[in-house]
This record gives sequence, C-alpha cells and structure tokens, in this order.
Amino acid sequence: MATDRILLELRAVSKSFGQTPVLEAIDLAVRDGEFITILGPSGSGKTTILRMIGGFTEPTRGVILLDGRDITAVPINKRPFNTVFQDYALFPHMNVADNVGYGLKVRGVAGAEVRSRVGQALELVQLGQLAQRYPAQLSGGQRQRVALARAIICQPRLILLDEPLAALDVELRRQMQSFLKDIQREIKTTFLFVTHDQEEAIAMADRICVMNFGRIQQLGSPHEVYYRPRTEFVARFFGDNNLIEGRLAATEGRYRRIETALGPLVCAIEGQPDVADAPAGRRAFAVFRPEAIALQAACDSDANRILGTVAAVSFGGASTVAAVDVPSDGGVHQVRVKMPSQVDGARIGVGDRITLNWRADACRLVLA
Amino acid sequence: MPPGVGLGRRVAGLPVGPAGTDALRRLTIAAAYGLPMVFILAPLAGFLVYSFFWVDHTEMHYDISLLNYERFFAEETFPRVFRQTCVLCLEVSFLTILFAYPVAYFLAGLTGRKKYILVMMLLVPLLMSYIIKIYAIRSILGGNGFLNRALLAAGLIDEPLTIFVFNLNTVLLTLTVLLIPFAVLPIFLSLERIPRNLLEASGDLGASNWQTFARVILPLSLPGVIAASTFVFVLAIGDFLTPQMVGGQSGFTFGRIIYSQFGAAFNWPFGAALSVILAIVVIVAIAIGARFGSKRGIAP
Repeated sequence: MATDRILLELRAVSKSFGQTPVLEAIDLAVRDGEFITILGPSGSGKTTILRMIGGFTEPTRGVILLDGRDITAVPINKRPFNTVFQDYALFPHMNVADNVGYGLKVRGVAGAEVRSRVGQALELVQLGQLAQRYPAQLSGGQRQRVALARAIICQPRLILLDEPLAALDVELRRQMQSFLKDIQREIKTTFLFVTHDQEEAIAMADRICVMNFGRIQQLGSPHEVYYRPRTEFVARFFGDNNLIEGRLAATEGRYRRIETALGPLVCAIEGQPDVADAPAGRRAFAVFRPEAIALQAACDSDANRILGTVAAVSFGGASTVAAVDVPSDGGVHQVRVKMPSQVDGARIGVGDRITLNWRADACRLVLA
Repeated sequence: MPPGVGLGRRVAGLPVGPAGTDALRRLTIAAAYGLPMVFILAPLAGFLVYSFFWVDHTEMHYDISLLNYERFFAEETFPRVFRQTCVLCLEVSFLTILFAYPVAYFLAGLTGRKKYILVMMLLVPLLMSYIIKIYAIRSILGGNGFLNRALLAAGLIDEPLTIFVFNLNTVLLTLTVLLIPFAVLPIFLSLERIPRNLLEASGDLGASNWQTFARVILPLSLPGVIAASTFVFVLAIGDFLTPQMVGGQSGFTFGRIIYSQFGAAFNWPFGAALSVILAIVVIVAIAIGARFGSKRGIAP
C-alpha cells in the first residue's frame, strides 16, 4: 500500500537533446509503494523521465534523489530499479529461466538460490511450466510476463514500465492491466508506469502524472484528473469532455460564473486557487463531461440549463451519445451528451428539442 | 486456388501477359538452374571424373582407377602437408577473428556517417589487386623489410630476424592480414543486428559492461564469428598464390602441391584427386559453419 513516505524525487530536472528541450524543470515525488502512471501523448517527454530514473540517460540539469540521497550520477547497473521494456527486450539466446535469473547471476548469487528464486518468480507470473522455452516460442502476453518476472526477481525498490502493454491486443491488455495491479499489490513494490492510453492510466494508477510538451500538466488521483482537470490540455486529453469558451465573471463562494456564448454557466472552483484568483474577464473554458448531463431538470436550483436540438444520436453499446446543437451568439455550438443505453431504444431522436441540465459541481473551469 | 496458379502470372516479380507465360516461365527456370549447372557444377563434376584417370610417364590413361587416392595416402608427404595446411588455416581463422572482432566492435559502436565511411575504407583493400597486396606485405616482412629495419633501428635486434621470412609464419601472417576485411564484415553485421535495448536491459539488471559483453554481445555475435571463420578458412585453404609468393621452401601448403601437379608435374588426374580431397574439407567446413551459425542465430 502506498505510504506518504517519498521514495524517489526529481528536483528541477531538465533534459535537452542538442538544442531541443524535452523536459523543462520537472519536479516529481514518487511515494513508496504507489502505482504512479506517467501519461502523455508521444513527444511529451514521459519516456525520457523513465529513462533518466532508470539511468539510461542523464538529466541536463537537476537532481534525482532516492531516499533523499542524490543518485543522479549513479550508473545504470548500480541503481536498485528494474525496467520492463516496451518490446520486452528478452535475451533471445537464453531460455525463460535464464532470462529471469539474469539479474541474480550477474550479481553472483549461487546457482541453487537462483533456481529457487526463478521458480518463485515464474510461479508468481504463472509461467512455471514454460521455464525451458525460448522467447521466440512464446506469445506476446507470455513474453510480457517473463519481462515482468525478470524485473521483479532482484527485488528492486522501483519497477519502471515503459508502455509494456502497447503491443498487446485489447482483450489481452485488459487482462494484463489487472494482472499487473495484482502483482503490484502482492509484491508491494512501487511501480512507475508510462503510457499514452488514458483508460489504461485510469484503470491502473494510484496517481496519474499528465505530461505535455515536457511539462507536468497535472498530478493527482485518476478521479481528480478525470473530473477536475487543471489545464485545457488535460480537459481535452481525457476523452470527450465538453469545453465551452467564455470569460470569467463573479465568484460566489465555492462557485464562479463564466459568461459564454451559450449564456452564463456556474462552475465549481474548490481546490483551484488559480481560477478563483483570476481577474474577471479572463478567458477560460467551462468543462463538463457528457455523462454529467441529464435530460430531466434536477430539482436543485443551481443547475446549469440550456436548450438545444438533437443533431445526431449514436449507439455505442453500454452508452448512447447524442450531439446536441445549441444556438449561440456566433451560430451553433455542439454539446455531447452521453446516457446509458436502453433496451427498447434511445429516448430521443434527431430533431427533438431538449433541455440539458447539469450540476455546478459537475462543471469545472480551466484557464485558456 | 490450387497451388501454382498465382505463380504463373508473375516471373521474378514482373507481370507477364497471358500469351507466352508458360514458355517464358520455363525459360527463366531453366536459366536459373541451368547457368550454375553449366558453369559451376559441370567443371566440378569434370574434376571428379578426372581424378579417377591416371598418368604413367606423361601418358594419360582414361580408365577408372583409385590409383591417385591410393598414392595420396601411401606417400608420407601428402597427408603431412595436408594436415599442416588444415592446421595453418585454422590458425589463420583464429588470428583473423582475434584481430577482426575488436575492429568490428569498434565500427558497430560508432554512430552516423563516420561508421559507414570507415566501413567503406575497410572495403578498399578488397578492390586492390591481390598480387600488389602480397608484395606490400613482403616488403614489410622481408629480410630487408620494414619490420626488420624498424627493429634494427630501434636497437632491439642486432641482425635481421628470419622468423618472418619465407616460411610458414610468413604465410600465416600474410593470409591473416589479407583476409581480415572478410572477417570484419560478417562480425560487424551480426553486432549491428543486436537490438540496443538488450544491452540496456542487461545494464538495467545489474550487469557491468564486461558482463554485458560476455553474456549478451558475444553469444549474439557468434553467428557472425562462425560465418567469418568459415569464410576465412575456406579462402585460406584454397589459396596457392600467397604461399607460393611468401612461403619460400619451407612454407609448403596443400594448395601449392595441387598447383605443382597442374604445372611442373603435369599430372592433372592426381591434381584433380587432391582438389577433390580439398573440396571435401571445404564442404565440411561450410556445413559445420552453416549448422552452428543457424543454431545460435537471433530468433525473431
């Protein structure tokens, strides 16, 4: 279980390749025992963070601390971290047992102990019967688990996972996600998991660190980054949020008004001092999720309410998404509404005029 | 679709019209198999046949006998020189790999344009005349050669050394120098094929650079090493010109014996028989190389 003790800390870490800055003054504290996910699109610098922690590259500036001790200059083979690589990087000339036991052998652990610990690690990843196979004879999911067993066998302080599930198909990915979570709980080791997949991050992480353009956009629990985005990037990156541009107006306790083309909206601002302190008239976005919108007015009086015309309805399995045209000053604005699908068909059809209602607490503000 | 239907439309990747498809296809296949038959297998088969003829006082006898092979085993010289030559060529392979591996390792470790410019420079000697290269090496190793003069000038020796001059050592060194480029290339290619992340994984798991080399790089480059040593062995054992030019009286090799049978002795059938024996060694060497090379290759 995650504690509040800080295991690893990055202080003002920057990285440039030649003249191109990849990371700019990153501060990040990893707690002991947590499952932290670094999430971002390609080119956001997320893999570079992992590579610097692992010791594959050096930061241009800044320090990396382990238990408060500077390890920036410690070489790769002396760091108590192990990595699960994106394409597994299994040694093709060694069988599964030799791959898994590699870290112990190079440390000079005796043969009998290597064998017993390899056996345990393979049991843990449920591959005991494949010990004598070669990587080429394994499926993608099996290779994945060998790579994991190889990384955990030396009992590292931190396991780095570099998009380890990217090469697997959807079904196997789901299985591996929960499998990885289970393993992490069982061995009580800190996992730092890099991915570009929001759903994967939400499903697995204790905390998510959202990256873009070499900067941390937001660091928080999956619930926080999902429901309370701090920046426009995070709001857009997580699925199909509705973003309505406007100008900030008066603050009313825990809420703040925003004047938009669709009319005034009321949004919750707790925990967002930057929005609370921003001057009136500042450009901002009201952000609300499609599934937060109800078609029937709720009884509470502070609900946001707008009128619109259904432009399209698409059935997506568990949920149905409607695109609703809302007339605004400059023309028409489209708002997405997501509702649970009904066995007897959608309750609304194209051309219906409907009211969209959502609570102020389900509406957040991000500065533009 | 029955097998072969899709093939009929294309020959060597070129679409072929329906008319004449079959004729052209047959012609291509005939050429593909026929040309090597005519130019490689037929002469070899000719030699095999020739090796069963015999010569008595410069007179050819065209009846089949095993006289030539019996003579090879009967006279003490031939098996001895044969054995010496095989050992010499194994030594050449070993020495060549010893020099070529660090070069290939250095080249594979470079990045960008520098790497390919240096590889090209390595290939330049392959474009030079063989004879010129042998003379160049002679001028280094000879009694009055660069090496002896340098050692004399440095005061390390009082009179020119003879250990490098016109004997088997000279042959060994000359062949090694000549064949190093042939060994560097396969090793370089096998080192290039090792994915970088395997080296990172090794370091990540706690291995030192030396351990990574011994446990990952070396085993994975072994197919290249085996290909290189097969190459060098086969080229060295077939060479008669180098021993002829730098070997002197004592540097006698099997290639020179064969050469003398076709030249001075004018005994073609015996020369053919010795060639067949040599060919068997070469085929065995290639077979061993192929077997080990494929066994230790990088699986996909």
